[in-house]
Amino acid sequence: MLIRYWPAETNIPFMKFNTAGVALSILMIVGSIFLLATRGLNLGVDFAGGSLIELAETDTVTVSDVRSRIPGGLTVNSATGSDDKRLVVVRFGELDESLLGPEFAALSEDEKAARASSLSNSFIVSELKREFNLTDNDILRNDSVGAKVSEELFWESLLALGVATLFMLLYIAFRYSWSYAVGGIAALLHDTIGTLGLFSLLQIEFDLTTVAALLTIIGYSMNDSVVVFDRMREVRRKYKQMSGSDVINLATNQTLSRTFLTAGAVFIAVLAMLFFGGPVLKGMSVAMLWGIFIGTYSSIFFASAIVLALGTEVNKPSDEIDVTGFRGVP
Amino acid sequence: MLQFPPWKIFLVLAVIVWGTLMALPSVANMSGAPSWLPQKPVNLGLDLRGGVYLEMEIRPEEVIEGRLAVFSRDVRSALAPTDTLGRVAHLAEVKGRVMTVKLTKADAAGNFPVADAIARINKVNGPLEGGLAGGKMFDVAQTGPDTVSITVPANSESLMVADALAKTETIVARRVDPDGVAEISLTPSGSNRLILEAPGEPNPQRLKDLLNRDGRMTFNIVDDSPSSLAAAQAGVVKPGYTLLSGPTTGPLLVRSIPEIVGSDIANASQGNDEANRPQINFRLNSNGARKFFETTSQNTNKRFAIVLDDVVMSAPNINEPIAGGNVRITGDFTIEEAQDLAAIISAGEMPAKVQFLDQRVVSSTLGEDSIEAGYTAAIVGLLFVGVLMVLAYGLQGLFAVISLALNIVLVFACLVLMNATLTLPGIGGIVLTLGMSVDANVLVFERIREEQRSGRSAWTAVQAGYERAFATIMDANITLLFAAAVLYVMGSGPVKGFAVTLALGNITSVFTSVIVTCMLTVFWMKLTKPKRFAI
Repeated sequence: MLIRYWPAETNIPFMKFNTAGVALSILMIVGSIFLLATRGLNLGVDFAGGSLIELAETDTVTVSDVRSRIPGGLTVNSATGSDDKRLVVVRFGELDESLLGPEFAALSEDEKAARASSLSNSFIVSELKREFNLTDNDILRNDSVGAKVSEELFWESLLALGVATLFMLLYIAFRYSWSYAVGGIAALLHDTIGTLGLFSLLQIEFDLTTVAALLTIIGYSMNDSVVVFDRMREVRRKYKQMSGSDVINLATNQTLSRTFLTAGAVFIAVLAMLFFGGPVLKGMSVAMLWGIFIGTYSSIFFASAIVLALGTEVNKPSDEIDVTGFRGVP
Repeated sequence: MLQFPPWKIFLVLAVIVWGTLMALPSVANMSGAPSWLPQKPVNLGLDLRGGVYLEMEIRPEEVIEGRLAVFSRDVRSALAPTDTLGRVAHLAEVKGRVMTVKLTKADAAGNFPVADAIARINKVNGPLEGGLAGGKMFDVAQTGPDTVSITVPANSESLMVADALAKTETIVARRVDPDGVAEISLTPSGSNRLILEAPGEPNPQRLKDLLNRDGRMTFNIVDDSPSSLAAAQAGVVKPGYTLLSGPTTGPLLVRSIPEIVGSDIANASQGNDEANRPQINFRLNSNGARKFFETTSQNTNKRFAIVLDDVVMSAPNINEPIAGGNVRITGDFTIEEAQDLAAIISAGEMPAKVQFLDQRVVSSTLGEDSIEAGYTAAIVGLLFVGVLMVLAYGLQGLFAVISLALNIVLVFACLVLMNATLTLPGIGGIVLTLGMSVDANVLVFERIREEQRSGRSAWTAVQAGYERAFATIMDANITLLFAAAVLYVMGSGPVKGFAVTLALGNITSVFTSVIVTCMLTVFWMKLTKPKRFAI
């Protein structure tokens, strides 16, 4: 009466597709890096600096109205907000000096650099309010990020991520071994680069919320890798004469049912976030859906292949007796 | 693992009850509930509830320049004549991080009294606060036959900047929230930055205008002679005087040295004048009131200018000596302008100008929509995952979903307990731990299935399933706990928000998905005593 989403005992020779899997992964990584180098990321204001203003679209406030009636180098787009309301999204960097008035022109170069983005924002907001007779509450969102902060945020996030990855590497090396640690981190990098590649390909806006999604993907990928590794180690200890690739095959097959069920459950949860979570969670959800897919793929095909290639541990059985966490059962 | 003595059951139930009570105010209206229950809902970040986020910084150069300017007054008086020593003729000038004192009068032999000047300056050069013994606030050194340079050493600079930041923080708080009633949050960040979060505030411009002012308030006596004013307007300002102007008063020539300064003011507030128009009332402290009485006694029938940041706000006539120290500024203000000006005046002068680096505004309607949508998404997601789990594992799946829901409850309870803030990236962290929580149960259940297939009885299969899966679950959670800890310490803003819920969720999910589910399973098995475990 219970539904099995996956046959109980499969015997798929994953490591036969090893080369194909790794080749596909490398193709994707190279493609992603190529895309990142040529097309780049569509950086949001968080990382590119500048301002982003969102207004609810009404009969009087439309994209073309804003475009024609507000001066300065603005990008004006429309977007769909919560309740399927249409939004006018205005994006701009630093405005032309002449618009910012004589007080701005009188500042020193240093001061200008520090204040340009903030003053540009004030200028456009007051123009919008005046032109369209808006109040503060009509402005749904107004983010303005100076160049200094945007750059710092980027590097700071990257550094934190790097150190976090290093700690995970050390922990897995301590609990398992170096080859597993390298395999896990390789899968993590694979997923991160692959996700950035998708962002570049689809030109999805990359902002701080997407960083949160990226962190979630990394966490998911790590969890997946650890679970598969754990099983590999167990199989290794049990079947001492098995070859490395057979160990990996068996471990992957044994965890396959779990892998699909977990991925399915998280996928559904994220789908709920995508459809019901409102506009704010949308970008994050899209990234996470892709992340679940790529994270599952990488722990089966990519991480395992790396472990196999590096793995003295997975290839050469140790003399240790299996004592981990399993006592009292005959 | 499968043993649940009474104390363990009690402990688990206690945690569940505590968590539920702590999390309840975040979803339900607690106004009718008895007062001994927790009432505090979880703090929502500005991205979820709406409001203004401003990041600002003060510049060390400006702080140093300000401190040198203050010190230059001490230097001037130190070099002025005393009873025993004559005057050291000099010119002192502050430029950037250096004050240059140029001696202008040599002795008969053509030597400048540099050593004397340095000795005198060092008498007013205070010791370094909190520094090592012997350290001085300023470095004083001879840099030419007639020149002394005064600079700020690095350790003294960091103290000055820290001091200025602390002052700025107090002043920002008093300007933005003079009554101390709004829920603003002000956090120092790095050595010279402040982050201001004002929930519910829709207008960043108002906050910026409030904080952009230096807040330098002075009373200066006005020279009303038309000829001096005309000369000043033509470019020849009388020595010791300054030409200022104001929106209501026009150009005015005032004495450069003020009679009353910001530190003489006790407080300021918005009031109404006789015609019920908004005005600013302020009261001088006892020292200020005494000085004001003396000044007004000596300058009857002259005017005094009330100057804020070099702009004359008003210039009333002194009809008679004013005692008591109550002063008011009337003018063409709106209530909000008067309130803001009063807040600026009573908060005092900023040690350095604040620069705005980063601003985020989310309207409260968008915030409300986000919260509502977030709840819907959580319930729908949980429902779907529940259906999937029950279809796959039957009753055990239901137990897993119960513990999953409990996990969300406990994360909220811990957020409330720690007074932490739930942000949008934080939701990402919760989703991840929910995924890991589901994963933990799936691992256990799949393990039990495997053990049953290899011929174990129900009890031993369950025991083996939990024990074997536990090591895996712990490894996965500890790995991510490490990552969360690093992200929390090193990251800022969104990264931090993510790390908080991830770390909490890692801990609570091990509790719920291993201990709680296991307990439910054990109870059920004791109750039904199955031969085969249906899973």
